[in-house]
Amino acid sequence: MAASWPKKRRLIGTKIPRIDGPAKATGIAKYSYDMNLPKMLHAAVLRCPYAHAKIKSLDCSAAMKMPGVKAVYVYNVRTDGEFVTADAGANVLQLRIGATEDAYNQALKKWEEAAAKAKADKKDPPAKPKEPEIRRIQLGPNDYVFRGIAVVKLADLKPKDKVTVDVERDAVGRELFYAGEEIVAIAADTEERAYDAIRAVKIDYDPLPFLVREEDVLKNPNLKTVAGGGTGNAIPSGNSTKGNVTAGFTSSDAVVEGTYGVNVVCHQCLETHGLVAEWTPEGGIRVFSSTQATVGTAGAIANRFQIPATKVKCVTQYMGGGFGSKFGGDSQDFAAVDLSRRAGAPVKIMFTRADEITTAGNRPSAFGKVNIGGTKDGKITAFEIDVYGTTGSGGGNTVNLNLFPYVYVDSVPNIRRIHTVTRTNAGGARAMRAPNHPQTCTLTEFAIDDLAAKLGIDPLQIRLAGLPDSDPNAMKKAPQSWPALRNSIYKEEIRRAVELSKWKEKWHPPGQGPDTGPIKRGIGMALHTWGGFAAGPNEAKITISRDGSVTVESSTQDLGTGQRTVSAIMAAEVLGLEVKDIFVKIGDSNLGMSGGSGGSTTLPSQGPATYLGAIAARDDLFSKVAPMLGADPKNLEIEPGKVVDKTNKKSWTWREFCAKLGMNEAKGTGEWSQAKANEDPNNSLSNGQVGGVQVAEVSVDSETGVVKVVHLVAVQDCGMIVDLLTTQSQVAGGVVMGVNYALFEERIMDRQTGRQVNPDMEFYKLGGLVDMPKITVEMVDMPERGVIGIGEPPTISTAAAIGNAVFNALGVRVPIIPLTPERVLDAIAKGGKV
Amino acid sequence: MSEPLENARSGISRRAFLKGGSVAAAATALGTAPPQLLADDPPSAQPAGNIVAVGPGPVQIELTVNGMKMTTKVEPRVTLLDALRNHLDVTGCKRVCDRGTCGSCTVMIDGHTVYACSMLALEARGKDIRTAESLNADGKLDAVPAAFAKFDAQQCGFCTPGFVVSLRAALDKNPKATPAELEHAVSGNICRCGTYEQMRHAIASLCEQKKGG
Repeated sequence: MAASWPKKRRLIGTKIPRIDGPAKATGIAKYSYDMNLPKMLHAAVLRCPYAHAKIKSLDCSAAMKMPGVKAVYVYNVRTDGEFVTADAGANVLQLRIGATEDAYNQALKKWEEAAAKAKADKKDPPAKPKEPEIRRIQLGPNDYVFRGIAVVKLADLKPKDKVTVDVERDAVGRELFYAGEEIVAIAADTEERAYDAIRAVKIDYDPLPFLVREEDVLKNPNLKTVAGGGTGNAIPSGNSTKGNVTAGFTSSDAVVEGTYGVNVVCHQCLETHGLVAEWTPEGGIRVFSSTQATVGTAGAIANRFQIPATKVKCVTQYMGGGFGSKFGGDSQDFAAVDLSRRAGAPVKIMFTRADEITTAGNRPSAFGKVNIGGTKDGKITAFEIDVYGTTGSGGGNTVNLNLFPYVYVDSVPNIRRIHTVTRTNAGGARAMRAPNHPQTCTLTEFAIDDLAAKLGIDPLQIRLAGLPDSDPNAMKKAPQSWPALRNSIYKEEIRRAVELSKWKEKWHPPGQGPDTGPIKRGIGMALHTWGGFAAGPNEAKITISRDGSVTVESSTQDLGTGQRTVSAIMAAEVLGLEVKDIFVKIGDSNLGMSGGSGGSTTLPSQGPATYLGAIAARDDLFSKVAPMLGADPKNLEIEPGKVVDKTNKKSWTWREFCAKLGMNEAKGTGEWSQAKANEDPNNSLSNGQVGGVQVAEVSVDSETGVVKVVHLVAVQDCGMIVDLLTTQSQVAGGVVMGVNYALFEERIMDRQTGRQVNPDMEFYKLGGLVDMPKITVEMVDMPERGVIGIGEPPTISTAAAIGNAVFNALGVRVPIIPLTPERVLDAIAKGGKV
Repeated sequence: MSEPLENARSGISRRAFLKGGSVAAAATALGTAPPQLLADDPPSAQPAGNIVAVGPGPVQIELTVNGMKMTTKVEPRVTLLDALRNHLDVTGCKRVCDRGTCGSCTVMIDGHTVYACSMLALEARGKDIRTAESLNADGKLDAVPAAFAKFDAQQCGFCTPGFVVSLRAALDKNPKATPAELEHAVSGNICRCGTYEQMRHAIASLCEQKKGG
């Protein structure tokens, strides 16, 4: 029988404070940044000051001699090869590169046979294998040779040893594509000395032409300043059409043309990217890393250093924010591990604030020219968008920039999209909380309200008329699936949002509110959706000890999402205990399989795994103890704090019952993944795809251009709510992030220097408590759907709702977010209204 | 948020240290003890009158942190934040912006809130330094972190000790502070996860508790 959640839930769905709350609030919780290991060294990183340059010369010898310096690591100079010969006195070695001698000889032999056969068959001979290159390397004083994981002397090398050589001189000629790209890391006994040593590195650059603004890329189609294909920095990406757009516009009552934009924002994790790395005496590696993926990070490090993954341990007990930018296998991971093996001591690298903002991830921009057409009954007949955005110098076009009017995608009959990635000399984009969606939502929802204004109708009418119908087929086959529910979920959420925000009372035609002074009030709405399915295999192991204590073990991590707490809730629910009775041991890559915490997948993967594991542990406990009590395990059941035999109502306290385990313990392992969820489409443990509606009420000072969000209503579903308190936190937190990128946040690149002018926290603005609206979170609990992730959806539609509220207040569209006073005043001046 | 600290400071500014390797401080004029030079710390300049030169090498200092006397050797340029975190393993104060913007490193010095990233360790000698860790002394959880935990006014928690210290100091100064006054007290703190709404709930409950008590 397929497992399902208990019908009567004692803890699940209630408000339970997170179990690590006091430890975090009093600073006792140790984050990776807080780790101080014995003899630990601190590393600093030298970064490129130019937007685009080649390294002309590099000399770290003076830096090496600075006080306290223990090791130097030059990025991107690794050569792997097979040792041929060496002159230890002259410090010269020769490496065979490309293939080992044996592999080459074998390939040659095979080729000879194939060539002879081809000759006999009178066919063209196959291509001859390439002879491995023999490279002669003159080692400098800061160069390192490794065999396996150990630094070795030339005299100790034997022919055919596989070696890795880092040659500082090989950095010469390396092309650097943005200001902030890493070049050298140095470890010293104090942080101050590490930075002193960085300043002592002698390096010269050949600066090269650069482009840091999206519009400049389009203006210079033949100027290429980044790596990768194409003649310029722009690459077409993901064009598509559906239906007939021209016909759609012809059949509409009104067409609106608008240009809207969302600027690049940075993740701004408060705990910067970084780690402490050390080599264990057994030749393994242990890292304390600020990562969203303990297993993924350990795997990347094992792969890089060619040691078994089981010998790498990645620990992440507490994590200071990731938002999609911390999946591990980053250059600093490898630098710290490598510095540690060179110095023979633990090494800490934590990014500075400027490094964090410029190099450790950002969200792509999107600037789109939109045409939208619709009829007076609120139906959208055609939607056309020509959009571009930057993913920085790296990232290609992979960071989910497939813009589409997503919520309405099924009900808009005619769509055309042209999308261009405008690569710039800036740090590469990374996944950021609901990748692609905030930009898509803003560009679509802005256009919808502008269309409503032109049609002279309440935009609510378009939102309701444009909702996709629920799929009758799905309603029969999988009634809890998104296609079966999407129409009713949105309708219910819009209904609640309208009521909570007093939409009917507060909405007025744009710019025609009752305010007579300079302060104008307005209200705006936007919709969103997100997946939140389970991911790859996730395991949880539950152990019940004879003293009644319970441990949940998993390699998963708690980013501040409350995962540690919901794991405890799952086990406590099954075992009749309280959350405080469960010891949750997570954040350690050696504790089984788990996926990275991205895509709102953690709870839908870990939740069912922990629940199933707890059931298995309970059953194991029953089967081990029942015979000693003369009971049948089938008749035993759990009630709060005790075990009951339902046939004779005999009961034992939890402790009493567990004490019967004697020298034994009870165990259970649970596993869950999307593959498992797919095995039964009607499984009720996890599901995916949620709706969400947000309404913003704003006041805009039309004289200063300052926008203040007064109230924000967020109506959200996420299947079965596990912890109402932390779920509400997630939703309110998503809203705050939305307010930030709607009003304050923007990466500003300087055309003259090619550098970011606000790589800090005073000019890269994040709101404080007094900047935030009153936030009303309304959860739509749908326990019958099972668990669905909630991390990402609530941040998607906030900015769109705020922008629409500003439009409603002023009657003019402020088309680009963030809605800074300058942009608001500019729009008022151009709009000529107010 | 950070109040003027003329009284708390010893007259040495971080800027002065950053400009040069060593600095001379008019120690006695401000009534603080001159830095203790150890035998193995060669003075960079001869003491003249009441002016004592320290640095650029490490100097032995004693700090009173959460009621405990702690000694370490730091270069004079080291901030209080880095001395606490890197040298004394007191890591409740977090390094986030490292330039006096975000409030994550907020500590109390003689009852005043201070950004520990913007004060030199040497300046903090002889002061009563309190970090968030002091709010769980002897296993008794202070009302402020207790309210943060109860109302879930934290997610990743990296900014939280800073907020908690700011609020504790504001309540110590004015136990009858209103919610608006407490919101003002944390206007020098920034949270990225967006826990402000829950923080308002925590603040409201702290104000209620005060009324009741």
